[in-house]
Amino acid sequence: MPPTNLPISRFSRANSTRRQFLKNSAATISGLALSSCGWRLADVQSAPPVKGNADQLFIYTWAGYTDKALLDRFAEKTGIRVVADVFDSNEAMLARVQAGGGRAYSIIYPSDYMVIQMKELGLLSQLDHSILGGIDRLKKQFQNPVYDPGNRYSVPLSWGTTGLIYNSEQLKEAPEDWDYLWKHKQELTRRMTLANDVREVMGAALRMLGYSLNSTNPEEVRNAYEKLVELKPAIASFTTDAWRPQMLTGDLKVAMCYSSDANEVIPDNDKLRYVVPKSGSSLWTDTLVIPKGAPNPEAAYKWINFMLQADVAASLVERLSFSTPSEDAFSLLTPEVRDNEILFPSEATLKNCEGVAPVGKFIDVYDRYWTKLTSG
Amino acid sequence: MAIVIQFKEEGRRKKEEGRRKKEKITIIFRLPIPNSQLPITNYQLPIPHYRDMENTADNPQEEIPADMLYLKPKFKISWQVIFAILMFFYMYLPILVLTFYSFNKSRFSAGWEGFTLDWYVKLFSDTRILVALRNSLTVAICAVAISAVLGTLMAVGLSRYRFPGKSWYQGVAYLPIIIPDIASAVATLVFLAALAIPLSLWTIVAAHIVFCLAYIALAVSTRLADLNPSLEEAALDLGATPVQAFIQVLLPQLLPGIVSGCLLAFVLSMDDFLIASFTAGSGTTTLPMEIFSRIRTGVKPDINALSVLLMVGSGGLAFAAEYLRGRSDQKRAN
Amino acid sequence: MAVSTKAPPPIPPNSPSKSETVSPWSSWAGPLALLGPSGLWLALLLVVPTIVIFQLSLVPNIKPGDLVIPSGIDNYLRVFEPLNLQVIGRSVFFATGTTILCLVLGFPVAYWIALNVSPKWRNLTLLGFVLPLWTSSLLRSYAWITILRPTGVLNSVLALVGIPPLELLNQSSAVLIGMAYSYLPYIVTILYASLEKLDRRLLEASQDLGANPVETFWQVTVPQTMPGIAAGSLLVFISCLGDFVDPELLGGASSMTAARLIYNQFLGATQNWGLGSALSMVLIFAVSIGIALLLKYGDRNTI
Repeated sequence: MPPTNLPISRFSRANSTRRQFLKNSAATISGLALSSCGWRLADVQSAPPVKGNADQLFIYTWAGYTDKALLDRFAEKTGIRVVADVFDSNEAMLARVQAGGGRAYSIIYPSDYMVIQMKELGLLSQLDHSILGGIDRLKKQFQNPVYDPGNRYSVPLSWGTTGLIYNSEQLKEAPEDWDYLWKHKQELTRRMTLANDVREVMGAALRMLGYSLNSTNPEEVRNAYEKLVELKPAIASFTTDAWRPQMLTGDLKVAMCYSSDANEVIPDNDKLRYVVPKSGSSLWTDTLVIPKGAPNPEAAYKWINFMLQADVAASLVERLSFSTPSEDAFSLLTPEVRDNEILFPSEATLKNCEGVAPVGKFIDVYDRYWTKLTSG
Repeated sequence: MAIVIQFKEEGRRKKEEGRRKKEKITIIFRLPIPNSQLPITNYQLPIPHYRDMENTADNPQEEIPADMLYLKPKFKISWQVIFAILMFFYMYLPILVLTFYSFNKSRFSAGWEGFTLDWYVKLFSDTRILVALRNSLTVAICAVAISAVLGTLMAVGLSRYRFPGKSWYQGVAYLPIIIPDIASAVATLVFLAALAIPLSLWTIVAAHIVFCLAYIALAVSTRLADLNPSLEEAALDLGATPVQAFIQVLLPQLLPGIVSGCLLAFVLSMDDFLIASFTAGSGTTTLPMEIFSRIRTGVKPDINALSVLLMVGSGGLAFAAEYLRGRSDQKRAN
Repeated sequence: MAVSTKAPPPIPPNSPSKSETVSPWSSWAGPLALLGPSGLWLALLLVVPTIVIFQLSLVPNIKPGDLVIPSGIDNYLRVFEPLNLQVIGRSVFFATGTTILCLVLGFPVAYWIALNVSPKWRNLTLLGFVLPLWTSSLLRSYAWITILRPTGVLNSVLALVGIPPLELLNQSSAVLIGMAYSYLPYIVTILYASLEKLDRRLLEASQDLGANPVETFWQVTVPQTMPGIAAGSLLVFISCLGDFVDPELLGGASSMTAARLIYNQFLGATQNWGLGSALSMVLIFAVSIGIALLLKYGDRNTI
């Protein structure tokens, strides 16, 4: 008999099969789950390296760091075709690389703290400085950076600060420090955004209270969290990119942003200004690394040399709006760009700035506070 | 049970005012009769070319004799029309915004700075986006095509056979709809990496087939539940083999379900970001991946332009297909 | 349809005429051919990854590179902490609100298209309603920011009419508007499919018997379309639970949802794949139980 149209008998039969199903599934699942033949999760190390084409280079980068002109110029110079994949956050990149999806890349663009993490995980190969030209012609602060002494594993490509972009027309007095946000909470209610990044936001509160951005002291982090809870009702949202049109139209008065983003937006509205808070902020560096097991290391070195080339770096500063750590490139820039306080802040401004560094297991505490903050 | 056949005249149409009147035949039953006990009207109506009109009820008040005053439904209908128009407006408002900003000179979706077609021009010279679009379309079409076959077979099998472990199978079949994308994406990647399967466009297709299957099977089984099984039995009685009966009787009946399932799966596949970003090989980006990453740098209006073009293009295709189908239906009816 | 028109051969009395045959082998051929390929595919690419997730959820503090040996339910205990329960509760709130909003907004539209638009235009109208789905959902969500922000489209229009501006963005209301927008086409399509099969004669009969339109609606239309309503609501509810883009963009500072929490565990700084997996399993179980209950007390037609 075709079984499709007898609802009543189907119900009763379905009930018993459902009970059986639950019993069976419980048994099987517990069997599978408790099987003691353990396997290693995401064992990238033991995977054999992939040998790639000599004239193809796969790079894994941020969205705003390459454009067609750059890739074409490289292809013209070396005959190597570059294919760029993009990621939008360091952690997403790390997750993909660790889950095994990163084996085709010969160049990756992690940020400074991610370099430390990847180093500890054994994902990076040491760089041969003899092949790299231009690595000794970087600005002083980048020659022996905290996150990678001697630049043994990474080459800095761009750097910047995190700060506040504000609309000078709508604010009575210009902000100079993070506590401006707390002092003017009423005025800024729902007209201010903070970055959507746990380390940046907690770091800002920590610096304001005089602590280190990378504090692992539970007391200090708790104080920072409580300060943020105080400010919470006035925060419109946590976003790293959606503030742009809203700042331009005046829907937002203050936003926490990166210097390179601010530099891109400000030309469109001359009332906007950018400031690095006095009590300190985070100083970030984006770098180039060659992962272990890269399919095409020779092409990778050529790419790094190309990016360190003074004229290339200088043109990128102007086209893609980020600050270069290369002294040579800096000297090639027009005076207008060199004097751009946003891209190249003075020593005094950078005095209190710190780089974000991994905090090991303490990141769990940060994450819990973040979940509390964004769900409270 | 008395069957009264009346000739009626139709009033004006909903959307267009002042159209000419049309004749139709309606069959009014005086007592409610459960659907399953009615004879199949397709075979019983003496006038074939009104066959697909016996199910309409355009103006309820017009089918009721004049001696029952019914002013309320008329008011109700125009209220419905207004509401529907409002909902259409709600649906298209963001699209209008996107279109507006695709012609805006400014890079950001802020104030109007002047009309320009630059973004459309820029779009066509942006190979990254075009390659991403091509990849997305390839993945979607392949995944939907394969899932249509597998999903239909699965839905038919599930509705027809009883076997040990059937509820297991059903549970698994609809699991893709429940499982959070991110978990499934990471787990699939871990699984593929453990088997050292190289990632490429085809791993995305493979992963997409999983959820396309579920949605198509769902749509087809919905359709199956309402089908009349006697047609297929009749075919088998008349000497067709099971395969012939399947292909020539069941499949055409299922076609609307398959088509709607395929459309749903296609849209979902084109819009999927998480699964694609984890199972894509290097150098293969799909459109959502590209859009997601560009949003971090502020959405450039060339993506708005692309969305507008995609919508206009697919809308045009869909309307053309529908128009042609309507024409062929008319031709068949005449 | 195109059934063979030659004279049917005489049917011997004991030969089977239906799809079930006598021999045990051929009784397996049918199910195997129909269910085999998809079963294999699902087993490989769905069941195994799900088992992977389940195993991961049973290892506390697992990080990539570690050995996966199920050893404890710490991850699950952590899922049921008040903090995470609050996040899950918010997800459920958004999902329920969106489902109700979609039903309320979508049913009249589906009703209108199915019953009051002439057949020639029906498909086109439905298609027109569903067409916005072809644009990226992310772009449409960003467009809602442009519409709902303080100087956005909505408030500009309201200003023209003289109404004071509405502060909708960065709150739950914006999230509900945005999510209802994203899922409205799906529910309209499902409801339309259900309403199209509605027997109008029942409506007419009920009117003949003296019911007013409201009574007809609640006592005839709704019960008849209950399978469609159930299927549509379920689809919208489950999709909303997995959506992390809209609440984050439109919801303001207090908008952490379960989907975003899972995302943060896998792709965030903590790399707590175990907790992410446990959260996923909890979501899966909860929704499965919901579906099972629905099937038990509802109509079986759609699944």
